[in-house]
Amino acid sequence: MTSVPLALYVAASAAYGTYFTRRSDTAGRFATLVLVCGALAHTFVIGMQTMQVGHLPVVGTTAAISAFVCLLALAYLYTETMTDERAMGVFIVPPMALLLAIPALTNTVAARPPVLDSPWFAVHVLSLLFAYASFALACVIGITYVLLFKELKAKHLGFFYSRLPSLRVLDVMNGRAITVGWLFLTVGLAVGAIWLLQVQAGAVDPRVQAMSLFDPKIFIVILMWVVYSFALYARRSIGWSGRRTAVLSAVGFTVMLLNFVPIGYFVTRSHNFY
Amino acid sequence: MNLFLLGASHHSTPIDLRERIDFTRRGVSHALAELAQLPGLSEVVILSTCNRSEIYVICDDPQSARPALTAFMSGFHDVPESEIAPHLYARTDTDVARHLFRVAAGLDSLVVGEPQILGQVKDAFTIASEQQHTGVFFNRLFHWSFGAGKRVRSETGLGEGAVSVSYASISLARKIFGKLGNLRALLVGAGEMAELTATHLRSQDVRRIGVANRTASHAAALAARVEGEAVPWGQIRRELTAYDIVVTATGSVQPIITRADVESAMRPRRDRPLFVIDLGVPRDVDPAAGRIEQVFLYNIDDLRTIVQENLARRQSQVDLAELMVDAEVDKFMAWLRSRAATPTVVALRERFETVRRSELARLEPKLAGLSPAARARVDEVTRLLVEKLLSAPTQRLKALTDEETVGAYTEALNHLFKLAGDQGDTDAAATGRVSGRMLVSTRGRGR
Repeated sequence: MTSVPLALYVAASAAYGTYFTRRSDTAGRFATLVLVCGALAHTFVIGMQTMQVGHLPVVGTTAAISAFVCLLALAYLYTETMTDERAMGVFIVPPMALLLAIPALTNTVAARPPVLDSPWFAVHVLSLLFAYASFALACVIGITYVLLFKELKAKHLGFFYSRLPSLRVLDVMNGRAITVGWLFLTVGLAVGAIWLLQVQAGAVDPRVQAMSLFDPKIFIVILMWVVYSFALYARRSIGWSGRRTAVLSAVGFTVMLLNFVPIGYFVTRSHNFY
Repeated sequence: MNLFLLGASHHSTPIDLRERIDFTRRGVSHALAELAQLPGLSEVVILSTCNRSEIYVICDDPQSARPALTAFMSGFHDVPESEIAPHLYARTDTDVARHLFRVAAGLDSLVVGEPQILGQVKDAFTIASEQQHTGVFFNRLFHWSFGAGKRVRSETGLGEGAVSVSYASISLARKIFGKLGNLRALLVGAGEMAELTATHLRSQDVRRIGVANRTASHAAALAARVEGEAVPWGQIRRELTAYDIVVTATGSVQPIITRADVESAMRPRRDRPLFVIDLGVPRDVDPAAGRIEQVFLYNIDDLRTIVQENLARRQSQVDLAELMVDAEVDKFMAWLRSRAATPTVVALRERFETVRRSELARLEPKLAGLSPAARARVDEVTRLLVEKLLSAPTQRLKALTDEETVGAYTEALNHLFKLAGDQGDTDAAATGRVSGRMLVSTRGRGR
């Protein structure tokens, strides 16, 4: 079922690419339309999977990736609508299509272990996935900020100068994405901790028993929370903005992505349910 | 009838003459009204800008239109004909469409791709249209030119990039800060360059403009002209912190602003960007200041390079833009040629209607015994019969766009149905004897 939204995301990627290179408004509007259709189809697929298995399909990395892509599509569309800027689409939608290829190829919904049968768990996962989506947006916006910044500093006004919005707009968008992401990351971590305290005492699942701050996946997420907290503090109190926070958000999300896929798949011993 | 254009532009005419033949001096409406009195002209539009004065007309004969319009321009502007005539250019039919489309696209402008011309073409058409000097042909021609102009701008890079130093500065500022409405700008120097940049900044509604100059009275005078405030020369370094854009244009031999000045100004600004435009030669700002984080320093050579690159980029798009214009001209001419069959269609239909009515008249004695309802029915049936017979030929004639085919069909129909000649049917039938060249005249003029 995931192949339909995947095809739409691929088509939207091509349209955003055309819009970015040729600056054709028609291609831009078409790209948005196809992405809206893709996000709706994706939401429908997740809804159908929810009805099929009786809970939100967010257990396991594969399902989580699908949910993450869906939330990212919605978050990006919200940003595009609010700012009337489509230039970032070419940086965001193609990676979304690539990521969605993983669940589209496996095309299975993992059964949920009984220990995860809790509303806290759903809030925990959805909050963190939305935080990841926001950080992904911040990362892409940060990269585009650095690209434009370099062109302006080098006085070589070329490809990005004529296509991207102003540094100021990119900086504001980056700041908002980090703020929203940090809020959801905080909620997700807090809810996760509460849920763990509730279930750890009586749990028979060895993975739950083994969960601690020293699990690589949990450790890196908390480290990232510290990094993003510092980014927000630096922005508000030290006056950091522009290139510094842009780089910080790009590095932060890269580590987050590493945590999400390779570490989530291969390294973590406890925080893994697939 | 033909499309015809007579005009003078920056390509062919020196500025002192362009100023004297500018229609806006005495009023375009007034000129249109006088032009409309000339014999042999139907639709008229005048395009008058600082770089061109052009008269577009639909006329019976281009050969006689040229001397008539030359004489009109001479008389209207009170400039000897012998002085104007060598600078005028004339275009007919397809070349008129191509010229107008090129003008609307900015291809014929002094600075290729400049955006104002499209609005000026629209204004010229609006004035003529409101005074009912345009009809079906110019309505279509000018609207087509608007579409061609927009297409060239949106699908090529012809209109992109600043092509003047002051506008390049404003474009850079917008790329750094977004909207400039909440910013403060400091001008160091009160010369011509500083004033020009200040005028551009004022047009962007910057919040505050400060002016500093060694001679305080000059600073105060420029500040008054740009609705800014004078800043004492000795306080420039201290004031730097409060400004987002700094423009320097002095004749100072030594740098006025050093790297250390900018560094100390940036500390309280934290990461808020500072855009420094150094228009001075020798430079007014230490180039090392540009290496400070969030300081964007551009000197006059940097800005000139940007302008040159933009001009070159625009030039590289000209061939593509010309191809688009050619494609639009072809489409317009195809539409125009399809109009050539219209008089033949009208003549054919009138011929059939005449035959129908004469046959009904001939049968009148036999129909006299019928009831009014039955007679109406007979009239209706014969009318429908004619409609059905003519439906397909009408559609096919209107769909013809090839000039030769239209001519051949027209001749054949003239011959087969005697659309003109012995019976002297109608004016329309007479105009149906054509060769397929551009035809007129279903214009909707009120004159």
